[in-house]
Amino acid sequence: MTKDELIQKWLQDNLNPQELEAFKALEDYDALMKLSEGLKHFKAPEFNEQDTFELVSKTMSQKSAQKPKPSWLKPVLRIAAILAIFFSVYYYTTTLTTDISTLTAEKTTITLPDHSEVTLNAKSQISYKKKQWKDTRKLTLEGEAYFKVEKGSKFSVETSSGTITVLGTQFLVENRSDIFEVVCYECTVKVTSSIAERILKPGDHFLVLDGKLIAKEKEEAMAPAWLQNESVFESMPYKYVLNELKRQYQIRLDAQNINSNMLFTGRFVHNDLNLALKAITIPLNIEYTTNNDLIVLHDK
Amino acid sequence: MSKNLNNHTCNETLFAKLFKTHAKNLHDFLYYRFGERLNPQDKVQEAFIKLWENCKNVEPSRAKSFLFTVANNLMLNAVAHEKVVLKFQDTKPKSFTNETPEFLLEENEYMQKLQKAIANLTEAQRVAFLLNRIEGKKHKEIADMLDISTKAVEKRIYGALKQLRKDIEEI
Repeated sequence: MTKDELIQKWLQDNLNPQELEAFKALEDYDALMKLSEGLKHFKAPEFNEQDTFELVSKTMSQKSAQKPKPSWLKPVLRIAAILAIFFSVYYYTTTLTTDISTLTAEKTTITLPDHSEVTLNAKSQISYKKKQWKDTRKLTLEGEAYFKVEKGSKFSVETSSGTITVLGTQFLVENRSDIFEVVCYECTVKVTSSIAERILKPGDHFLVLDGKLIAKEKEEAMAPAWLQNESVFESMPYKYVLNELKRQYQIRLDAQNINSNMLFTGRFVHNDLNLALKAITIPLNIEYTTNNDLIVLHDK
Repeated sequence: MSKNLNNHTCNETLFAKLFKTHAKNLHDFLYYRFGERLNPQDKVQEAFIKLWENCKNVEPSRAKSFLFTVANNLMLNAVAHEKVVLKFQDTKPKSFTNETPEFLLEENEYMQKLQKAIANLTEAQRVAFLLNRIEGKKHKEIADMLDISTKAVEKRIYGALKQLRKDIEEI
């Protein structure tokens, strides 16, 4: 074995007893021992594992306290932001227009942003823009409503048959399929329709039936009767009476066997169907029979 | 299904174990390679903290490489290309000696030469040689630490020895 090989083996700590003897016999032996001794003085400073670990742990927990952001947070925030935008846009656009409607046999009173009041009769609907109300007092009406308007800027009611423009008053508008009626209780009202244009003074009554303007007597009452849960008619074609009855009660009517153009003057209540039926049939010599759900009218 | 349980190091017990296994070696490695000047203790701590911060992305089997690479880079970033001077520790008990002054003087001279010679080694040689001769690490252990072959370790150690002897014996 060469000197180099011995030294290699010594370095590897791999000398068997024989080789060890041979190694010790080398002339390099002393120098190598001196070197080994000397090297000991260059040992790395002691590393305190325990203390260092505590330092590391402390720093780790400080860092986690500062940054507890889990990786799911970002996508959740993104979704939340999108939803927030969506909902605010949705909210904004839907609150642009306020719609209020009534069902059969339902009445309701609402207060507009300027404290004007609108009372809706059954099966009616109004729409208006709450946010713009301060500048423009304009609403759309389908059906029948009684208005009490606060003094202020121009107040207009749009219906499919015409527009009513008002200045601080109380008035009635009815717009159903073939009837367009405006009654002025305390007002100055301008009615513009495809048929005619009128300015109504207190007590005036504008009525269009089936496209024909009908002259009416001055209205004596202070407010429409239906506010008091009663429908009043004066020389009104019977079919309108029946229509109103159907709006105030959940009923099905068969009026095929009678003349629905007869004029009716009278009234009926909204809270008693039998009484109401009697009130509108007896004066005209009409009888009715109830067939399950269906009320059939026929001449006596 | 242990598929996801062990492919990251975000486990405190595991982390503590890694520390116990590698911290001192890492420290010694940094010291022998770069000396004391740039605080190897700190770099060890920083490397472990970085491991914890990136625990999700590091598999346990890769933790050691991660630590050594990070610590090494931290050092390199801090170091200018200075000569590494390992501190010569005077560990001989001064109280009792029966050596002659000449002997002591010679001793001191020798130490200084040795110090210079160690500094003159390449980093690779120095680390391998000192881990072996001073820390008593086997060739195989050093190979694992440094991610090199045992043969390479043998070469470095032997090369270091030759170089040291050459430097010392030069007057």
